[in-house]
Amino acid sequence: MYKGLIKYLGFFILLVFLQLFLFNNIQLSGYINPYFYILFILLLPYETPGWLLLFLGFLAGLTIDTLMNTYGTHSSASLLMAFFRPYVLNFLTERDDIEKKGSPSMSQNGFNWFLRYAATLTVAHHLMLFLIESFSFTNFGTTLLRTALSSMVTLAFILTAQFLFMRRK
Amino acid sequence: MNSIIRFIAKYHFILLFLALESFSFWLLANHTYYQRSKFENATRAITGYISNRIDNGRQYLRLQATNEQLTRENLDLRNQISKLTVNLERLQLSRSDTLSNSQYQFIPARVVNNSTNKRYNFLTINVGKNDGVEREMGVVTNNGIVGIVAGVSDHYSTVISLLNIDLKISAKLKQSHYFGSLYWDGRNYRDVIFTEIPQHVSMNIGDTIVTSGFSAIFPPNINLATIKSFDTKSGNFYTVRARLMNDFKQLHYVWVVKNLHEDESEKLESMEL
Repeated sequence: MYKGLIKYLGFFILLVFLQLFLFNNIQLSGYINPYFYILFILLLPYETPGWLLLFLGFLAGLTIDTLMNTYGTHSSASLLMAFFRPYVLNFLTERDDIEKKGSPSMSQNGFNWFLRYAATLTVAHHLMLFLIESFSFTNFGTTLLRTALSSMVTLAFILTAQFLFMRRK
Repeated sequence: MNSIIRFIAKYHFILLFLALESFSFWLLANHTYYQRSKFENATRAITGYISNRIDNGRQYLRLQATNEQLTRENLDLRNQISKLTVNLERLQLSRSDTLSNSQYQFIPARVVNNSTNKRYNFLTINVGKNDGVEREMGVVTNNGIVGIVAGVSDHYSTVISLLNIDLKISAKLKQSHYFGSLYWDGRNYRDVIFTEIPQHVSMNIGDTIVTSGFSAIFPPNINLATIKSFDTKSGNFYTVRARLMNDFKQLHYVWVVKNLHEDESEKLESMEL
């Protein structure tokens, strides 16, 4: 338990660092901004209690917000993502293996499952994020396009990271 | 009382979600760029330091382009000097008073962090309080305005980029001196919108827009953008789309403008008549 805590804390710091100094520098055509840090919320263990999940989602967003000067934008988006996570997990997981341990990673559940799981939550997060950023439903087309393109790039990075992690195991 | 506790226990997940989400929206609504806390100053010092380290590496890759840019700038300045020397000589013949000081002072700075892809873009530059930078000073390059200083720590400052949909600056047409306001609409990072020019003014595609100098922040007549297209759809005024002369993705060396007469002009403007 204690070891897991330190592992996740280190993982979180690494993700924030990567987000700020690597992924924030990827800005293609103004439409593609990958937000890789959400991998943290995706990979939290199954047995994380609901309230902790929400707090961690919120804190992850708030950290990014503080460091990027975007007050409330990332915190509300990643909170929404944390909120949806249990429902998506319930929906995707078979009834008999609902008592799973560990984290919902690709190595445990296979590529197809992880793709569906990550894609749903990434799109939810990005849509909320870009909606708040534009703060209106005018230009909704642009927001949708940004969501679609950025989600694809974020997903590509997340899947790549998972592949790398899997091979090392 | 018991049923309330049971209700909370049953729906604590959704209730907590709603509470935190409202808090996020409260943050979103209550945050203005000029209200910055001590905490933020601390984070700026840290991110500024790391960005600076990363940028030091990136600088080498850009040396060629930077050199070319500096050469061009030198040439520009040289041309201006030769033009001004002629003027100066002529003036000195007619006026004996030479004790006038320049109104603006410039502080050189380097951009260590920058974004162009959001709707509210910010930059970090490597000068701060210790270099004499204060809030609400302008930041410019040879090719136009970069933004306005929003917060300073000892060695770094945060700048609200011109590519921030909250920033509006006063600008005018170089040819006819009609002034209006210039802002970014959050779409293409090369284009800005220029409005409030009445329809009887004649303008052409390719005309230059410069700063008006009405605000105490920016000196007048800095080149900003060239007109790309204009239409008259919105009532009595033109809506002009203009291409910025600055490429915000290539910003590296910038100048912070210190207006030495700022206090004086502000005092005059706030004086009761």
